Amino acid sequence: MKRACDNAVEYVYQYIDSELTGVRKTRISMHLKRCGHCHDAFQFEKDLKAKIAASGKTQPPQELFDQIRALIETERKNRAQDG
Amino acid sequence: MADQANFERDAMEFAPQLYAAALRMTRNPADAEDVVQETYLKAYRAYDSFEEGTNLKAWLYRILTNTYINKYRKAQRRPSEVELGELQDMYLFRRLGEQSGATPSAEDRALDMFVDGDIIDAIDSLPENFKLPVIYADVEGFSYKEIAEILDVPIGTVMSRLHRGRKVLQRKLWNLAVEHGLVEPA
Repeated sequence: MKRACDNAVEYVYQYIDSELTGVRKTRISMHLKRCGHCHDAFQFEKDLKAKIAASGKTQPPQELFDQIRALIETERKNRAQDG
Repeated sequence: MADQANFERDAMEFAPQLYAAALRMTRNPADAEDVVQETYLKAYRAYDSFEEGTNLKAWLYRILTNTYINKYRKAQRRPSEVELGELQDMYLFRRLGEQSGATPSAEDRALDMFVDGDIIDAIDSLPENFKLPVIYADVEGFSYKEIAEILDVPIGTVMSRLHRGRKVLQRKLWNLAVEHGLVEPA
């Protein structure tokens, strides 16, 4: 079992990042069903990833959109003038 | 080739995400706005070289990344491998496990002790070459291949930086938990 655990841990990030395919992915999925410790460890990493994703969700100030549009408009006019 | 006249229609929807990413990189709203504005101006100028039907989001992030690096990263020092030290895989999970004597299962909600500010500080503490891959993978959900394109490095480099970056991030979270008195230092 130990070797199966080491093997699973080696691929933990590729697994939670959905970068694994085929036999390797299947073997790890099967291992996680059998091994409670690895299951918890993988779940922990997945939860941490979700927590990182959820942290610091910030909406830009509305002016940002107006500023970008104004910059593009100016650029467009400059180009039109230059021919 | 993409038509410049369609630029706003195609690209503006990504502005909130780009702003959030820029804010994580710069930690300063005014700087984040500058970086995003400059990104959009550069992207508009280059839009007729963008190949329509390819990954517009990744293309914009690539411009954002280069803009950020050129503006802010020059003075950054890279920590040596020695400073970063050797870290175990799944560092935080193991350290928390040593605490309770059992494994911190999802039901234990061990992660609940960390507030958003801790996570943001931990990401911010990462060396730049680790920070960007972590932001792109964990926050933006880009694939390794997309991150490789955005950062213009091989996929293997993305994977190793991401792996190292996550370990360093987890050590920082552990240290924060110790500082806050939430866990007993070993």
